[in-house]
Amino acid sequence: MNTKLKVSEISKIYPGCIANDKVSLEFGSGKIYALLGENGAGKSTLVKILSGVVKPDEGEVFLNNERIKLNSPLDAKKNNIGMVFQHFNLFETLSVFENLSIDSDKKDEDLRVLVNDILEKYNFKIDLDIPVLNLSAGQKQKVEIIRCLIRNPKVLIMDEPTSVLTEQETDDLFISLKQFSKDGILIIYITHKLKEVLSLCDEVAVMRKGKVVSVSNTIDEKIESLANKMVGENLNTIKKKINNFKNSEEILKISNLNFKSDDPYETNLNNLNLSLKKGECLGIAGISGNGQNELFQILSGEIITEGTSIMFRNKEIGKLNPRERREYLMAFSPEDRISQAAVPELKIYENVALNNFKSSNFFEKGLVNEKKIKEHTQKILSNFSVNTDNVELKSQFLSGGNLQKLIIGRELITSPELLVCFNPTWGLDVGAINYIHETLIQINEQGKSSILISTDNDELLKLSDRICVIYKGKLSKIMNADTVTAEKLGILMGGGLID
Amino acid sequence: MIKIEKRNDVSRSIYFLTPVLAIFLTLFGGGIIFFILGFNPIEALKFFFITPISDLYGLSELLVKATPLCLIAIGLSYCFKSNNWNIGAEGQLIFGGIVGGGVALLFYNHDGFYVLPLIILSGAIGGMLFAMIPAILKTYFNTNEILVSLMLVYVAKLLLDYLVVGPWSNPEGFNFPETRQFSDSARMPILFDGLRIHAGIFITLITVFLSWLILYKTYLGFQIKVSGLSLKTAKYAGFKGKTMIIIVFMISGACAGLAGVGEITGPIGQLHRNISPDYGFTAIIVAFLGRLNPIGIIFASLIVALTYLGAETAQIFLQVPKYTGQVFQGMILFFLLGSDYLLFFKIKFLGLKKNEL
Repeated sequence: MNTKLKVSEISKIYPGCIANDKVSLEFGSGKIYALLGENGAGKSTLVKILSGVVKPDEGEVFLNNERIKLNSPLDAKKNNIGMVFQHFNLFETLSVFENLSIDSDKKDEDLRVLVNDILEKYNFKIDLDIPVLNLSAGQKQKVEIIRCLIRNPKVLIMDEPTSVLTEQETDDLFISLKQFSKDGILIIYITHKLKEVLSLCDEVAVMRKGKVVSVSNTIDEKIESLANKMVGENLNTIKKKINNFKNSEEILKISNLNFKSDDPYETNLNNLNLSLKKGECLGIAGISGNGQNELFQILSGEIITEGTSIMFRNKEIGKLNPRERREYLMAFSPEDRISQAAVPELKIYENVALNNFKSSNFFEKGLVNEKKIKEHTQKILSNFSVNTDNVELKSQFLSGGNLQKLIIGRELITSPELLVCFNPTWGLDVGAINYIHETLIQINEQGKSSILISTDNDELLKLSDRICVIYKGKLSKIMNADTVTAEKLGILMGGGLID
Repeated sequence: MIKIEKRNDVSRSIYFLTPVLAIFLTLFGGGIIFFILGFNPIEALKFFFITPISDLYGLSELLVKATPLCLIAIGLSYCFKSNNWNIGAEGQLIFGGIVGGGVALLFYNHDGFYVLPLIILSGAIGGMLFAMIPAILKTYFNTNEILVSLMLVYVAKLLLDYLVVGPWSNPEGFNFPETRQFSDSARMPILFDGLRIHAGIFITLITVFLSWLILYKTYLGFQIKVSGLSLKTAKYAGFKGKTMIIIVFMISGACAGLAGVGEITGPIGQLHRNISPDYGFTAIIVAFLGRLNPIGIIFASLIVALTYLGAETAQIFLQVPKYTGQVFQGMILFFLLGSDYLLFFKIKFLGLKKNEL
């Protein structure tokens, strides 16, 4: 069985973003192909097109030199393209076998024989008659894979399959994938983990900003070279003047902090240690989903930890909620500005009232002090050049940039000693990005500290005094920003090690 | 290809007008049903919606029915606004009635100005405690409040059944499943001679005013509003989520309990098996028809109360079952949800694209 899959000049444009820009690639059976790229590089869009979930604006797909139409996931199935998504699509309360029989047109007896053959052939150990909810993440993934194998797939696409797996499960998966490949199944493996590419795949295509920037054999590549291609070399940015903070006062200290989540899609944090000095900006790099969300919530107080694990200005704050932490002059700007940092349906001044604590006097004796909130809001709108002076406007009518200015303004107008921000400029235009960057530099100059969690390396290199990388819930060592290059960041972000 | 898109901007006036549209659609749908049943639709609708309130007694009855509906719906609005789905107001009403009724029976031989306030207070506390069960289970054990509050309705109903048949049944009542008649000092004062409208309406009106104050002018109201729109934001702002869930359930339960006490000390005057014609469930419709807004809920409670009266008149004059009232209530909710869907989403018909051919 010889399978050839070819995508030709595929383009997909979303409002404000070109997800795929004339992507052309060729794949042949017997090999495992890696599709490598940062978040937002366009690899997920491409596999969604191949699995019929998304329709391309332009371009064609050929299977064995024949053009195929992929208007729906059903078309992909008909053409023997199987897909295992990052998040499982299984009915938790049904048994494994019931899950498999749901979308199979075979008779139950025939199906059971077939499934048992597959289990035996690939040495999968799964009890078919227990409910899926009793399975581990790795076993659930095997169920998804079996579901594809039942249909004798020519192509099997795996979308970041190891993000929910343990090391052992990852090794098992790789063994199976290599066996599938030997059996003639064409495997496309989507990832941003460099080590996995090198240990598993034969060929690697790197995507950046919607384009394919390189196709090569993995034998010719090293972690460094792939990191460079994935992140891109953008070192011509102006860096902030690096200060020496040796003698400054320490403002924040996190020691031996652990976080274990019940949710398998969340990342556990292991033995986190960091410290921050007055006036300093600490950048935290990483590919999203490596624990940034959890880290932000631990800093903001949305996740409560041991009191002693976080010291802020010599006080134990680990057990305090966000409102109580604001009282100690901390401020937070979350990543999700539309549904977390602000509520679109609320008026601007109501959104400003979200940042309140006892001494802000927005609420006196439980009553709303509307006049005070509106005055305060007016001040934010003018000080942070938000493009409106109507405090009664609903926030949904603000552009992303203006909304972010409002949020940063709301957080900063109380003169906090520490601002924690998470991807403060995603999706903004250049003007707004510059404004936010200038503001962040300014607060450091005023002797206030900041923690910048970001997936944008340019931004981190521009604003940070020290930088570290978060990977699988662990922090790398913290480096002085002037010794850091995009290449080093790339290696650490992909799970590699540097000296 | 049909595509459904969310509308970003829904104007406030249209938002409050759609319930009116839903009512007109209900009348239209009701007319069709009457026509199919072989009645003249205009005549039938007149029996249903005009005749019941064409005299003073009818108007008083309308208020008697609207009083509990409005009170329960106001309480529910605290829960619904903050994304807490309390479906068990009927149970909280009954439990409030049981506690209030128990106190009334306890003070059977007393008369004094303090008896009625004591009954009212104990009814409110009863409803409140009963509503705290789903709230505490939700906050500390992650249970689903819809299921728990709903199932507790049946617990309350069966408890009432047991009490009126067993220990609390009237010793001189020939084994009828009912308690003694409450003494006069345990009854809501009647406002006008010959009419059933009672002082409970003032409790409702005061609650409406206080709720407007709380929901729109206090920190608690602000927290309820933000939590209803985005739980993520509420968490980020540092609101005490668990405390708030318990508070809204307590308020909601207290309102339902008050409604229950209002019924047994008002029009009914004793405890028996059917102290509520599903007011607790119907109030859910009232709350949404009134857009969870205190003023809106007043109007909505009057309209829904009318369906109760209309059903009784229709039963007498048209010999249709009184359950037509529930059909109308159902239609109101159906059309309201339907027009809301079109209000918040637009449906786009797309042509086939080049690459699909």
